Amino acid sequence: MLVSKSLGIDFRQSEKQTLLRFLSLYILLTVIIISVFSFIYFNLQKDLMLQQKKSTLQKYSKEFVGDLKLLHTYFDKTQIYPRDDRYDTAIFDSSNKLIFSSTDIKLRKDKILYLEDGYIYLVNIPEAYYLGARYIIVKVKDDEIWLNHTKQNILLFGAITFLFMLVIGYILLRLFLKPMRDAISLLDEFIKDTTHELNTPVSNIVANIEMIDKSKLDEGLQKKIDRIDIGAKTVSNIYQDLTYLILENKLISNNEDIDVEQLVLERVEYFTSLAKAKQITINSNIIENTIIYADKFKISKLLDNLLSNAIKYNKVAGDITLHVEHRKFSVEDSGIGIAKEDISKIQERYKRFNKSSGGFGIGLSIVSKIAKEYNLSIDIESKERVGTKVSVSW
Amino acid sequence: MVKKIVLVLLLMVSFLGADVYENNCVNCHKNSPQSIDKYFYNYLLVYSSETDVKNAMISYLKYPAKETSVMSDEFIESFGIKKKTTLNKEQLKEAIDVYWDKYKVFGKLK
Repeated sequence: MLVSKSLGIDFRQSEKQTLLRFLSLYILLTVIIISVFSFIYFNLQKDLMLQQKKSTLQKYSKEFVGDLKLLHTYFDKTQIYPRDDRYDTAIFDSSNKLIFSSTDIKLRKDKILYLEDGYIYLVNIPEAYYLGARYIIVKVKDDEIWLNHTKQNILLFGAITFLFMLVIGYILLRLFLKPMRDAISLLDEFIKDTTHELNTPVSNIVANIEMIDKSKLDEGLQKKIDRIDIGAKTVSNIYQDLTYLILENKLISNNEDIDVEQLVLERVEYFTSLAKAKQITINSNIIENTIIYADKFKISKLLDNLLSNAIKYNKVAGDITLHVEHRKFSVEDSGIGIAKEDISKIQERYKRFNKSSGGFGIGLSIVSKIAKEYNLSIDIESKERVGTKVSVSW
Repeated sequence: MVKKIVLVLLLMVSFLGADVYENNCVNCHKNSPQSIDKYFYNYLLVYSSETDVKNAMISYLKYPAKETSVMSDEFIESFGIKKKTTLNKEQLKEAIDVYWDKYKVFGKLK
């Protein structure tokens, strides 16, 4: 099992995405190529059929011209238009005006022989215009044997070609993915190393400091230990934030029902030492416990960043209050506050986060991304030199 | 009222046209070896459409010539070609229109 997977990072997912994208494009191209060839084949078959039928239609046309000639000669005696069960006809004069037709036929002068709506048409220009007929159109029904045969062939060869191309595509894909797989292994190794090299010692420091019974230490040493604790936690936070930002898309969300009160209390305890350095008091105000369905790590990251900002931008000996109510939690500080015009800017950044928000720190971008993922709305109330209240509701 | 006047005028014109045709065409052709309709169908055989047939007829009547005739060489040799028309432009047009309406194929085939 890949280390990345155990860390909650799914590279297989990105491989699958690449695979899917490549396959979609490949299939689309294959379908286009098959369609083009099918179209060409269909037209060739149609032309072949028309050429085969041409002699029959020409024979009919000759017969009809003979009948028309007779009618022309004896027009004063009879006006019965020559008809035949095998074909239909229409005659048009040189100004394309219909003289007579045995059925509904339109004149098309762009082609001599053509297929339209299941009928084959032959346009003939006789040597003499009997009864003024410059254009004679003979129409017969297409038996469509060729059409069924062509359709069968297209389906059969299309399917065979498609399957063949699919196999080729799969082989090509395996070849293309090889460098990506190698890169994944390399990255996997790198993550394995960095986690061991960086995260483990930091976590060790934090864990060991927590185990020290500070009451037995003298005040000087206690202060030093606290500073080490703060430093280690800060490094740990930065490490987690960076990991989150870099691997954001590859982090698997393990969504679950989170007890917000419990989470708030956990994070307050974690941040107490950091707050203490600035003599800040953190209070929690649980109005009503609530539950959020999300990934615990991500919500905790969001809360950490809000708390971290509240500490960072607070005054010395200030206070922070965490409120928990129905489908909402908020972090209120007694800090420097944010100017009115800046609140809208920050909120805009929350809505449309982009990479240029460097001035607001990476914490904000993480909050924004997590809020976006879980469709959380973020509301900022602030008064300069009084404090800021950031509320998260869902 | 206006409609009535227009109708009367139209009828008069058509009668006048019929008169021109009857007096100037049929009168002579009834004595000719070929009935008058045969000439019409010969024109149709060569010129096909109404406009082309009428133009060809008018042109021939104005300037009769062996080369532009639609009749066979034998016929021309036996009976010669007709004299130049004495009708003016309007009269000629009226006569030809009547001639066309009388023998046209449109609406006659069954």
